[in-house]
Amino acid sequence: MTRSRPTSASSGGARVRAEHLVRRFERDTAVLRDMSLTVEPGELVAIAGRSGSGKTTLLQLLGALDRPDAGDIWIDDVCVSAVRHPVLVRREVVGFVFQLHHLVPALTAAGNVELPLVAARVGAAERRRRSREALGRVGLDDRAGDRPEHLSGGERQRVAIARAIVHRPRLVLADEPTGALDRASADRVLELLARLCSEDGTTVVAVSHDPTLGGYADRRLLLEEGVLREHAPGAQPLPAP
Amino acid sequence: MSGIILTNLLRRPGRTLLTALGTALGVATIVALLAVTDGLKQTAGQLVRLGRADLGLFQAGAADPTTSVLPLSLVARLRATPGVADATPIILLPEAVPADPAAIVFGSPPDGFLQQRLVLSAGRRPAAPDEVLVGDRLAAELHVRPGAATRIKGRVLKVAGVYHSGVPFEDGGAMLSLVQAERLGGRPSEATTIAVTLRPDVSTAAMKRRIKARFPGLVAISEPSEALRAGANGRLISQAATVIVVLALIIGAVAVMNTMLLATLERRGEFAIMSAVGWSGPQVAALVLAEGMATGLLGAGIGLALGSASAGPLVDALGAADYVHPQLTGWGFGQGLLVGGALGILGGLYPAWRVTRLRPAAVLASR
Repeated sequence: MTRSRPTSASSGGARVRAEHLVRRFERDTAVLRDMSLTVEPGELVAIAGRSGSGKTTLLQLLGALDRPDAGDIWIDDVCVSAVRHPVLVRREVVGFVFQLHHLVPALTAAGNVELPLVAARVGAAERRRRSREALGRVGLDDRAGDRPEHLSGGERQRVAIARAIVHRPRLVLADEPTGALDRASADRVLELLARLCSEDGTTVVAVSHDPTLGGYADRRLLLEEGVLREHAPGAQPLPAP
Repeated sequence: MSGIILTNLLRRPGRTLLTALGTALGVATIVALLAVTDGLKQTAGQLVRLGRADLGLFQAGAADPTTSVLPLSLVARLRATPGVADATPIILLPEAVPADPAAIVFGSPPDGFLQQRLVLSAGRRPAAPDEVLVGDRLAAELHVRPGAATRIKGRVLKVAGVYHSGVPFEDGGAMLSLVQAERLGGRPSEATTIAVTLRPDVSTAAMKRRIKARFPGLVAISEPSEALRAGANGRLISQAATVIVVLALIIGAVAVMNTMLLATLERRGEFAIMSAVGWSGPQVAALVLAEGMATGLLGAGIGLALGSASAGPLVDALGAADYVHPQLTGWGFGQGLLVGGALGILGGLYPAWRVTRLRPAAVLASR
């Protein structure tokens, strides 16, 4: 199950560079300790690790949802760990896919997908057009008017992917995107993420316990004791969380 | 964003309605009180410009216009004042008709302009002090006609005629000679008020200043809006209404804020998602405020309806239905709407501020 890697990264992807990241939480426990990472444009990087190893923290730092206690994060030539308005990074550069889809229950699928465009003050007609297009890419153009409660788990996660790509981000960060899905739905979601890289050249960083993700990735990394290590394809699988 | 606001309001209709009710109660209180105080102002305005005079003169500092006491000797001095066309003294006798305690009996000289301007719809003008003119509303209520007897201040008087002036206070009362009123009221050589007409070539404001300077201790009123301020009771009513309005606003704002804060806390995850997908703190706060304002306007609509419907019963409950008619004005409605929107925004300010303090990473991690 290997992904056909594009010969050269599309100009649509971002180059991500994290240098000597440190992030501490309560009782001064360092979740990330002097962690560094480079992701090339259009690359799909899979990060594995035990529960509590800091995978989600790493994604939140990369996506400017949180700030490191030490170290820098660069997306292309922007130091996102030091920008004054990190929300602009999230609005323009990054797309998030969460484990539990995190859709707004009151909004329809299209309404959820349009949220990043509302933030970017895109006009209503253009929002509708782009949300339809994004939903079409994940195969849900016929479910645009449905609320999350009427969608299956896999469909909700695909809506979340549509929301993550509707504003054409150069970096997609996926946090356990298949964590709550059955095998068939999980495969479909992973294929969608892989296609983002292969067709658009979007850079994708995904953290997951799902060993299948590694098959789609260009690189597999293991986050252990606050640092990242290369995780060879034939290496011992991770224990269940 | 309007679509998101509408969706959010409709997804919990019960909560939206309860939040709106907090505003509605505040707005209803305001509308009802404004209607009653406006009605009171109008009534007071009619009282202080009896006989459609240009000015009504009262004793300064009187608790109520009806408790004003002026010496009759002022009338001659007023008539001699440059710019004054005529002046006529009036004695007000409240609660003088046992069959209708709300009716006011007016005592004034039969040759004064107050009585001379009355148009009789039946009978004739009084020929003796023990004869009385009755307003057509009071006549209908007491079922009296010219020639009938009626009791005023314990004395039986003969109804000489029935008049219509178009002023509800006058038409709901009766008119005696000044001499008879002095006797019945036990107030010899005194008047409650002096009605003054001005020459056409003088300005009312200038005359008010002139009278105030020449006759210290007098208050000259020309506008209905000044009437409520003329007496201490009127001021008290006006101030009490203001206090109640402010209290209603505070209670409404607290109720709205409490419900909105709960709703906001419940939706923390949602706001964190919005933040994660690029919504700035001010954008999310604006959404919360806009939802608050929309709820406030909905509450204002309900409050306007409630206030309009309750103004009448409120006057009834105060026992003032006979002489106070609630006045619902466009400005009153406008104030209700403004207050509703403001309540929504005020109530939404704190929840909106809380939303801007949200740390999306922490909220999403805890879900």
